Amino acid sequence: MSSATTTASDTRQPAVSARALVKAFGLIRAVDGIDLSLAPGRIYGLLGPNGSGKTTLIRLLIGLARPTSGEARILGTPMPSRAALARIGYMPQGEAIYPDLSVAENLAFFAALQGTRDGAAIERVLDLIELGGRRNTPAANLSGGMRRRLSLACALVHQPPVVFLDEPTVGVDPALRVQFWAHFRALAAAGTTIVVASHVMDEADRCDELLFVRAGQVIAHGTGASLRAEAGTDDLETAFLRFSGLGPDGQPLPGLTASGS
Amino acid sequence: MSLARTLAVARRIVAGFRRDHRSLALVVVVPIVITALLAWVIRGSIPGTTRVAIGNQAGVTGDRMIAILRAAAPPVGAAGGGTNGVEIELVGDGPAARDRVKAGSAQVAVILPADLAAAAAGGMVTLTVVTQGTDPAVDSQAVAALQQLVIRAAGSMGSLGVPPAGAGAVVGPGTAAPVLPTIRIAHETIFLSPDADTLNVMAPVFLGYFAYFFVFILTGISFLRERMGGTLERLLATPVSRLEIVLGYGLGFGLLATVQVVLMTAFTLGRVPVPAIGPIGEWGVGLGISSAGSPILAFVVVLLLAIGAVNLGIFLSTFARTELQIVQFIPIVIVPQGLLSGIFWPVERLPALLQAVAHVLPVTYAVDALRAIMLRGDGLGDPGLALDVAVLALVAALFVMLASLTIKRDIA
Ligand SMILES: Nc1ncnc2c1ncn2[C@@H]1O[C@H](COP(=O)(O)OP(=O)(O)OP(=O)(O)O)[C@@H](O)[C@H]1O
Ligand SMILES: [Mg+2]
Repeated sequence: MSSATTTASDTRQPAVSARALVKAFGLIRAVDGIDLSLAPGRIYGLLGPNGSGKTTLIRLLIGLARPTSGEARILGTPMPSRAALARIGYMPQGEAIYPDLSVAENLAFFAALQGTRDGAAIERVLDLIELGGRRNTPAANLSGGMRRRLSLACALVHQPPVVFLDEPTVGVDPALRVQFWAHFRALAAAGTTIVVASHVMDEADRCDELLFVRAGQVIAHGTGASLRAEAGTDDLETAFLRFSGLGPDGQPLPGLTASGS
Repeated sequence: MSLARTLAVARRIVAGFRRDHRSLALVVVVPIVITALLAWVIRGSIPGTTRVAIGNQAGVTGDRMIAILRAAAPPVGAAGGGTNGVEIELVGDGPAARDRVKAGSAQVAVILPADLAAAAAGGMVTLTVVTQGTDPAVDSQAVAALQQLVIRAAGSMGSLGVPPAGAGAVVGPGTAAPVLPTIRIAHETIFLSPDADTLNVMAPVFLGYFAYFFVFILTGISFLRERMGGTLERLLATPVSRLEIVLGYGLGFGLLATVQVVLMTAFTLGRVPVPAIGPIGEWGVGLGISSAGSPILAFVVVLLLAIGAVNLGIFLSTFARTELQIVQFIPIVIVPQGLLSGIFWPVERLPALLQAVAHVLPVTYAVDALRAIMLRGDGLGDPGLALDVAVLALVAALFVMLASLTIKRDIA
């Protein structure tokens, strides 16, 4: 709804863009020439098997790694840029929280680093991840799924306009996962751009647009419906194989699963 | 450069430590226990007796000297205050006294020469003192006890050159005028009192060394966890700068070091008496060492050293993959500094090559500064101390830079 209210400059300027982005680790080209232009207020899904380069792509986009060549921009600012990081939320694939700090202390710490002194913002994300009752529990004593939830909250606490989530719902129970996606949808409706890396195909359909990533390249980009139509199949997994140049009976690529359970 | 972010980093370090009781104990309790142990060893050991075997080859004059020494000897068993009991035994002639030392039943043999009376009359007496020579520490303690004894007895020695009443055969006529004290060893000190023991010299520098040691270990491990646990990369995905991280670490661990140094200083300088309870005699908590100079200046020196240690810890954590590997830096980084920095042996007495090494170690300057402040009462106006403080500040700044350089946005 409020995507209709985005300003003219928003529509002209992509939230996230990349030009001929390459990252090589020795002989491996983890990201191998990616061009992107992601519009504000939409949810993008990065789909691809293990080692296809999703995490590396995200790290390049937010300036955590320097590209071998090419350029990434967030909200028009070339990365890496420390100032731009205040407007980026990042949930890494492995949860990076402090085990010796409590839930509330972790949130307050990341809020302070990301420039928020707003106590209400901390309460809001605590409610979202349903850990309000464990605010004083050291993170080391949380369950694995709870730590993922805390890590997500740390990425969202400063209400950034651009959010990168690297497999945010791994280990999170189904009921809470539904709630997360409802929240992502509400954020997108308010103009937030969200990039989600995932293997989970049934989550893919909750994204506005999908990017199939394989061997460091984006092999397809479109809505779920358009990709299905183009591949001539109803099954996203089969569609991915088609775009990879494999027949419908091609060996399933490792790490690409049909559901998140 | 944002103060809020720097403070946030510092606060998170302190908040984490509040839950880590064992590390807190490491910071606060352990240095005090070790210093107390050291004090006990230095002050409490050898409360017993220095046994002196005297070989008298000087006849009657020797007997009189022995009597004088016996009268001046502190009673056996009265330990403490740096004075040990001295037990004097006349065992016959020189060889007999040597045999006692050889057998270990005496620590020192003193041989009174046959010409003692003549030498005393002539104004110069040389006593031969024999020790085992197998343990310099024991030997020097025994010789020191003997020296103290001679100093005490010196006042009575003037009569040695005078023939005893009715036995004027020893010294010929014409030398009747008494010769003034012959064995006079003037013992004066410029800074400490003559009663000062090793502890007075050791305790001030232990302040600095402990802060350096513990802060290095704790930061090294703490920062290694940041690197390995992914939180460092997560930090770098926020607007925080490398300098802010390093300064925040310095502030957080500096606060811990402050707590440690304040407690250690109180323990070293203060003394709270504890009255005797039952079989336990009266004792005291704290070492009661007096500081000649400003404790605040001493504190600044230790803090500068600790900031260096924080950043050295961050820097070296780059070269470690596990916490064990941080511990492996102890013999490489910490122990040599302990040996070379003048804590135990004066830097000026080291071999030239090691002196050169000592002069690039920050602890050397801290040790020198702490002794200057606490023993001599120097202030920043004294060029030696000013140089020490300047070098420490420079080293801290250098390590801050080195540490920042190891925090790269591109961690891959
Ligand atoms: N720091 C690094 N050093 C060397 N190679 C790396 C590094 N990081 C990633 N790679 C390589 O880059 C490729 C892409 O890795 P990346 O982590 O981006 O994959 P991914 O799509 O996120 O996989 P997953 O689904 O398992 O998370 C892999 O072959 C990986 O081995
Ligand atoms: Mg990944």
